[in-house]
Amino acid sequence: MDPHIVQWLAASRRIACVFTDRELSITGVWGDPTILGAEAAALIGCQLQDAVPELIGTEEVLAHLLAGELERYDLSKVNRDAGRSVPMYLNMTTLPRRAEDEVISGLVHIAEDVTESAVLEQHLVQHRNELQLLQDRLARQNLAITTANAELRHLDEIKTVFVSVAAHELRSPLTSILGYLEMLLDGDYGALAPQQVETLEIMRSSGRRLVMLTNDLLDAARIEAGRLELLLRPVDLTRLVVSALTEFKPQAAAHGQEMSLAASADLPLALCDPMRARQIITNLISNASKYTPENGHIRVGLSRAPEAGFLEIVVADDGVGIAAEDQARLFTRFFRAGSASLWPASGAGLGLYITRSLVELHGGRIWLESELGHGSTFHVTLPAS
Amino acid sequence: MLTISKKVCLLGDFAVGKTSLVRRFVFNIFDDRYLSTIGVKVSRKTVALMVGDQPADLTIMLWDLAGSEEFDRIRASYLRGAAGAVLVCDVTRPATLERLADCAADLWRVSPSAHCVLAANKVDLTGEQRLTAPQIGPVASRLAAPWYLTSARTGDEVELLFRDLGLMMVG
Repeated sequence: MDPHIVQWLAASRRIACVFTDRELSITGVWGDPTILGAEAAALIGCQLQDAVPELIGTEEVLAHLLAGELERYDLSKVNRDAGRSVPMYLNMTTLPRRAEDEVISGLVHIAEDVTESAVLEQHLVQHRNELQLLQDRLARQNLAITTANAELRHLDEIKTVFVSVAAHELRSPLTSILGYLEMLLDGDYGALAPQQVETLEIMRSSGRRLVMLTNDLLDAARIEAGRLELLLRPVDLTRLVVSALTEFKPQAAAHGQEMSLAASADLPLALCDPMRARQIITNLISNASKYTPENGHIRVGLSRAPEAGFLEIVVADDGVGIAAEDQARLFTRFFRAGSASLWPASGAGLGLYITRSLVELHGGRIWLESELGHGSTFHVTLPAS
Repeated sequence: MLTISKKVCLLGDFAVGKTSLVRRFVFNIFDDRYLSTIGVKVSRKTVALMVGDQPADLTIMLWDLAGSEEFDRIRASYLRGAAGAVLVCDVTRPATLERLADCAADLWRVSPSAHCVLAANKVDLTGEQRLTAPQIGPVASRLAAPWYLTSARTGDEVELLFRDLGLMMVG
């Protein structure tokens, strides 16, 4: 090859060649020896391993090269600290140096500066490795979260079973207590003094509240366990609402509350579980009554829902209302709105959770409009038959 | 006094702390930032040892090799002539221990008489440690490699590991 081209190649590619004798003493240098960190003159006479310390400890390899037992020895991307933030990267090859008679007279060590491409490669490897480490960390965190979730689910199941069993065990003696109270109040065991009647009525009222609470706990446990089943059949919702309002009439009258019903004519029957539909309606009316002041007004409406194939029940009151920040959590378990906790009425925070679950089991939906101090309006849709 | 040079390769998955172990042993420094190595970085440190009843200076040429997979093809060339190796895993990443058998096999293919020690590194990350003695011991035993719980951050067992390997190589 034209020596000028060889020289140009050496200069443009930053290549250095070092020639040694059989004792590995450097006898000649070609190209750009500064990439090995020395000037040519300083290298002549030095041992190859002094100029290329990466070859210290590889005496056996160099002996194999000198013996002709090894064709070449390549080292790719040898990092060298060049006294700057980015290292210098060299590709190194050591070969036997053969004379014209093929006798090996020493070694040729070729070094090429490949820093430019190696730095790019280092960046790529760095980013890929960091990404892999992040993925590993993420996978570990996901595993920990999954394990924790499984544990929480297991604990939740145990809690649900416990609540269910406890509520069931409470209900049986309560039923018995209430039965005997009724018998006492009915005079089955003789006449009672007015103070005795008053005391027993308080006991009966408390007992009924306890029965309602245990029923709610049982329903909540069934809902969580996915064991609540509906017996769907065509139901006249208007009759159901009228019946529920009649049930609440004495209670409302005692508080001076007014109740009204506005039902559209010619409504189709609803397709629902009558017992659960009644529970939905009574829960909403009961809540409205509980949180409406004396002489307040509770309005119940019944009409076709805007979405086809559904009926809509609306229960509106002019009670305490619910703050906007509480509305999103209103249908969750054991949640009581701040305004409710300031009101004398009691509650475990299960009623609206059960109501929502029952509505959704029917394929309907529930929502509300409310403003603190300006009453609440609950909407429920149930499928038409 | 005897003067001996030996080539020692550091092998293991990426980001297990090979470069940090070398920096701790050679320069007694530690840097928390991760900078992936490509190719090879050769450092040296001379330690004074007794070879039999004779004092000796052992120059350990430490070959810090890239751990990333794309260097697998060319790693054999780096391993040629190695008298010893430090097999490094990260106690926070169990998969890095599994890879060490392949690393040792690669080494012994080109340097059959090389001695190995196993460094279970990053023991300072106590809350994240997921490899323990019952897992590390059997792997080290299969590789006939003494093993050490090391920390390049604190320096735990780093000097000891290299000195023991030095004795194995010259013994």
